[in-house]
Amino acid sequence: MTALDVRDVSAHFAGVVALDGVSFSVSPGSIHALIGPNGAGKSTLFNVVSGVYRPRSGSVLFRDVDLTRLASYRIAALGVARTFQNIALIPTETVEENLMLGRHHLTRSGFSPAALRLPNARRQAARHRARVRDVADFVGLGGKLTASAGALSYGDQKRVEIARALCVEPRLLLLDEPAAGMNSRETAVTAALIRAIRDGLGIPVLLVEHDMGLVMGIADRVTVLDFGRLIADGTPAQIQSDPAVQQAYLGTEGEDAA
Amino acid sequence: MTLFAQLVIGGLSLGSVYALLALGFVVIYKSSGVVNFAHPALLMIGAYVIARLSAGALPFAVALLAGVVAAGVAALVAERLLVRRMSGRSVIAVTIATLGVDVIVETEIVRRIGIDAYVPTHDPWGDRLVHLGAVVVPQSRIAALLVCAGFIAGFLLWQRRSRWGVAMRAVAEDAPTAGLMGVRRGTVSALAWTLAGVLAAVAGLFIIAFPSPGLQPMTASVALRAFPAAIIGGLDSVAGAIVGGAVVGLAEVLAQGYASNLTFLGTGFAGVLPYLVMVLVLLVRPSGLFGVRELHRV
Amino acid sequence: MTADHPAADVPAPDAKRRRPRAAATARLALLGLGLAVPFLADAFWLQIGLFAMAAAVAALGMTLLLGQAGQLSLGHSFFVAVGAYGYTFLAAPGDRLAGGLGLPPVVAAVLAVVLAGAAGVLFSPIAARLRGVYLGIATLGLVFLGQHVLANAPRLTGGDNGRSVPAFAVGGLSFGSDPGGPQYLLNVLWGREQKLWYLFLVVTVAAYGYLRSLIRARPGRAWRAIRDRELMAGIIGVPVTRYKAYAFLLSSMYAGLGGVLFAIAFRRIVPETFGVSLSIEYLAMVVIGGLGVAGGAVAGATFVAGLPSVLERYAGVLPGLSSSAGAPGVSPAVAARFTYGAAVVVLLLFEPAGLAGLARRLRRRPRARRPGP
Repeated sequence: MTALDVRDVSAHFAGVVALDGVSFSVSPGSIHALIGPNGAGKSTLFNVVSGVYRPRSGSVLFRDVDLTRLASYRIAALGVARTFQNIALIPTETVEENLMLGRHHLTRSGFSPAALRLPNARRQAARHRARVRDVADFVGLGGKLTASAGALSYGDQKRVEIARALCVEPRLLLLDEPAAGMNSRETAVTAALIRAIRDGLGIPVLLVEHDMGLVMGIADRVTVLDFGRLIADGTPAQIQSDPAVQQAYLGTEGEDAA
Repeated sequence: MTLFAQLVIGGLSLGSVYALLALGFVVIYKSSGVVNFAHPALLMIGAYVIARLSAGALPFAVALLAGVVAAGVAALVAERLLVRRMSGRSVIAVTIATLGVDVIVETEIVRRIGIDAYVPTHDPWGDRLVHLGAVVVPQSRIAALLVCAGFIAGFLLWQRRSRWGVAMRAVAEDAPTAGLMGVRRGTVSALAWTLAGVLAAVAGLFIIAFPSPGLQPMTASVALRAFPAAIIGGLDSVAGAIVGGAVVGLAEVLAQGYASNLTFLGTGFAGVLPYLVMVLVLLVRPSGLFGVRELHRV
Repeated sequence: MTADHPAADVPAPDAKRRRPRAAATARLALLGLGLAVPFLADAFWLQIGLFAMAAAVAALGMTLLLGQAGQLSLGHSFFVAVGAYGYTFLAAPGDRLAGGLGLPPVVAAVLAVVLAGAAGVLFSPIAARLRGVYLGIATLGLVFLGQHVLANAPRLTGGDNGRSVPAFAVGGLSFGSDPGGPQYLLNVLWGREQKLWYLFLVVTVAAYGYLRSLIRARPGRAWRAIRDRELMAGIIGVPVTRYKAYAFLLSSMYAGLGGVLFAIAFRRIVPETFGVSLSIEYLAMVVIGGLGVAGGAVAGATFVAGLPSVLERYAGVLPGLSSSAGAPGVSPAVAARFTYGAAVVVLLLFEPAGLAGLARRLRRRPRARRPGP
């Protein structure tokens, strides 16, 4: 039983091979890191899993469903939520409204009940808002719900991204460079949050990251991509001593230091 | 057969006029990222000046020059006062702003055209006809085809050879890098708009020369057909503007020519046809024939 | 150029309503004023008000489509035409000049709105595939298609001279002119304009309230996400294509309803009214009022729809306006055009959030200065 099963996924763009037969799986309740040099295909893989790109071949199995055949919103409805490398919040709206967007697929009430403010619709909305508040507290944004999302600090915006993904009630969380642009203190806070998601909420996490300290510190398993191909897959300790990985990042001896 | 040949020539002639308009439209879009809904206004300014002055004692060439200069200056003023001030704003915001400008300018020109609703043009071609074998074509149509094709060819050559032409292509291709390489984007943008004004005036001249000579309020809606022409080709493609213009011109003239066979579609169908063709093209290629599909990066 | 939509310049509705009492009181006061108007103003002003309300209902749909969902549509006048001609054709008895089905006016009105909505739904698959300006120009095609159909359907339009619109009636209560001489209520003339005023007021307030609620609830959130971050919206769980279709469905129904009201108010419709100019006017209304704001749509519509008549009334005293054809000066209709065209440009340059933004600024003044954009 795996949380996510990536099987032989290949993707091409304008003649460039972005992913070439990548296969790996994410175990339930684990933190799985996806690393590799720039252009290795990590973001492309994320976009394939979220339904933004259709792969040339291969499949991505989640709870026995092949995600590559689904539209993005259905993937979210199944329980796959993600954050975005470049923050994709609505800056003019409050944190709470941004988080409520994550609840969209969980709300059943139609247009007219909402517009006419019928009691059932209002109760549902109130319940969602309560849940949003809980998630905000969990993530450490408790006091900032009424702040305008665009006015927050970068680190806080990253946290809103994670909170919004949690509001989707995911069974798999995809984090796209959650520690990008952070100093060591902020990174430690982020690491703790990701661990809390795995341990406290039991949600498996697949993350793309460049910060090796974070990856090695919290990941249960690491998959390494280079030029669209999987070159290593194992525990952090195994990856660190893998010569193929070292070559990909640093080049072999005898090559000019670029 | 002669009817068909006449219609094809007429269609290519009208198509070259639309292509000239669409070209200016695309040049503006590529150089400054703006969708210029004030393009019909530029055409009307040029056409109005030409029509008014040609009725007086001045030689036609002077009237033509004056119209071209008027439209070019108007375009430059729009670029300096509006587009520059709105750099960094969203495409839709600037687009709507140009629409506002169009409303103001067109209202004024229609007001001047006035109660007679018609300003006669005294162009040099008049009603004269040209005989190519069995095919008879009005001289003004041949003139339109030759002049517009000439301008298009000249533009393409200029884009390839001259410094500023290459600079314009660079900005259209990759504006930030072009800027880093020393290209003055502000100057390129001003150049693009002025050029578009000039092209619009020339196109305007031929639109008021045939089929019914003279400037009417309705002329602006003819100019509107340059939009589907540019869209069919793809907003960011110069080749697309030329192809799109030709397609729209041919479709319109052929529909008009065979209108008696197409009565079931209703009178005036030729006016709607460009938009129908456009929607059909967009269904198959949502960014136009030669447009580049945006790759969304998440 | 950024990809951000200008409506994103307009701050979203405050989830935590600042001074909700003040805003609600203002709205109640406006409503009270609206109820009292027929006792305060004569038929001329009431007629302007009817036009303004008809325009406001259609403008509400426009601000939903462009301001909330971010879809640039220049085809709004097409759906207004469907409403206007739909009502007229369905309610008219039909004679040798023009056809009709002679249905009860209420049925005709409802069907006309449904028809407009259906047209919107039919168009939405095309719309879903198109972005930005491509969509805008495709919708322009709708207007030309509509004009073409109207030009070739004399049984529908009554030819170039147009046709008269059947008066509205509910049960036995007629909203037309009284054949039996003027009636009085509380010493005030109680005629067609007065009765229609209340009918229109109810419809407009309901339309306004409905949209406002939608904006503050889940649909509004989903639309704004589509407007500002379409890709993210889909990934986070919003069915984008479906919600774009909803936006088109609702906005075209609003437009159709506006068309029905317009036809009833004007009593006579001609095809050329529903051309590109009208679409541009709706665009101007929502930009001037403030994109995406329901109250802004009403304010902008009142301004653009009311201005020509107001200018015409005061043409004699306002400088530069000609009071009759041939007199020196600019005609009121032309002056109105200049005004709203200039208003669009000036607002987009300096206050892109329109009248709504200005109102917000005035309300914020006493507080500490916000950091500017």
